[in-house]
Amino acid sequence: MIAGTTLELSLCHACQTRYLPCDGPCPKCGSSDCAEYFTSAVGRVLAATELHYPASGWHAPHRLALIELADSVRVLVILDGALPAPGTLVEVRHDKDVYRAKSEPAR
Amino acid sequence: MSVHISSVGMGRFGKRPEGLIDLAAEAASLALEGVGRKPIDLLVAGSMFAQGPQGREALLPRLAGRLGLESAAGFRVDSSSGTGGMAFHNAVLALETGRFDRALVVAAEKMTDRSTAEITKDLAASLHMSEVAAGATMPGLAAIVTQRYLQRYSLTTAVCDLATVHARSMAVANPNAHFQKAVTAEDVAASRPVALPLRLLHCSAISDGATALVVEKGTGPATVLGLGQGFDALRLVDREELTTFAATRLAARRAYEAAHLTRKELNVVEVHDAFSPFSLIHIEDLGICGPGESPHWFEKGWVGRDGRLPVNPSGGVIGRGHPVAASGLAEIGEVALQLRGEAGRHAIATRPKIGLAHAMSGIASHNFVTILGSKTA
Repeated sequence: MIAGTTLELSLCHACQTRYLPCDGPCPKCGSSDCAEYFTSAVGRVLAATELHYPASGWHAPHRLALIELADSVRVLVILDGALPAPGTLVEVRHDKDVYRAKSEPAR
Repeated sequence: MSVHISSVGMGRFGKRPEGLIDLAAEAASLALEGVGRKPIDLLVAGSMFAQGPQGREALLPRLAGRLGLESAAGFRVDSSSGTGGMAFHNAVLALETGRFDRALVVAAEKMTDRSTAEITKDLAASLHMSEVAAGATMPGLAAIVTQRYLQRYSLTTAVCDLATVHARSMAVANPNAHFQKAVTAEDVAASRPVALPLRLLHCSAISDGATALVVEKGTGPATVLGLGQGFDALRLVDREELTTFAATRLAARRAYEAAHLTRKELNVVEVHDAFSPFSLIHIEDLGICGPGESPHWFEKGWVGRDGRLPVNPSGGVIGRGHPVAASGLAEIGEVALQLRGEAGRHAIATRPKIGLAHAMSGIASHNFVTILGSKTA
């Protein structure tokens, strides 16, 4: 079961784009007229991959997933755990400069 | 004002002992010999890394000096793997101003003298910083795109394997291609994982190589009929759809409009298959077939040398090899060779009159479409 935690996002007042991370201007129109808001940290895995030749500084296998949060906001996360099937629900958390999600071991 | 490609120069792609400048000069000399060393008044050079033994090379002045082109004007471009396309498009734009008569366009890359880890890191420069911060690589993001495509159309990786088999079978006829040996679907499926679902043989190789074209005022079999560029959001998360590349669709629409042509008039196509499943997406985005229909084109052999519309008769990026900046220009050069009847063993079954070349930067963040052919077609 996934806990009901939240994640901080931004809403651009100029073009209504919702995005993260929430520490910069709108990626769509460049406006800085943005407000922070909170949404559920639970998202759905759209796709996930396992990198066997990661970039320098990372260890293989390095797992990444594209997650869709509420309001169709998407985020690329580092996966801790097994490679989840598309559609799996995971909880996303902000960790310094990146986002992470923990997936359940494959059954 | 009409502009046409009057000569194509290309050395062998692959692991080469020469450095960047020698590779570029080899291709340039071949192109210049093709026009009897007529005067050049514009030199356009492109390289993503411009990597020499001691670091970054001053490619443009070194090449001008090496080729005796000190009196020419010049500029250098960089759009990662789309560099060759960008170099060609900007050379054409410069010629169309009427200020220049004949341009030499050169794109070159030296890659095999560095480790895979170093190249992987450098190639990630074409990605968004937030993606790089998460440890994303080009194959990693391409894998996510591929997985979305396969899911959307309920496909298996067998279609990706087939796209690789096609590319490698085409490359066998191209003496300049990195890979001279065909592979089977079983070979592809058994190759080691890179970023699942992508395996080694779904991914383009690290290659050295260069391409050079002479482009000049006038008309010929490879006259520039239409150019188009398109951008898309750099971050994948900012794109609404991942099973199609907006940058290709936009570039193609502009090129077709400029050429006053539709895809039905194309006789040959080169697409930028940095990852073999991308060739499936590209031919859909170019309007050659509908969304999700391209696997059928590969299964039926319609993209073969004697098929309905030959795709990547050079072997494409997968078969020809991928010296990143040179690839976009090699795609244009291949179409020009086909149109000019100079493709030799890799010529398609019927000499074409109209051809299209597609070049891609990064994960389709800035794409280029070039339509070449004869005005009388």
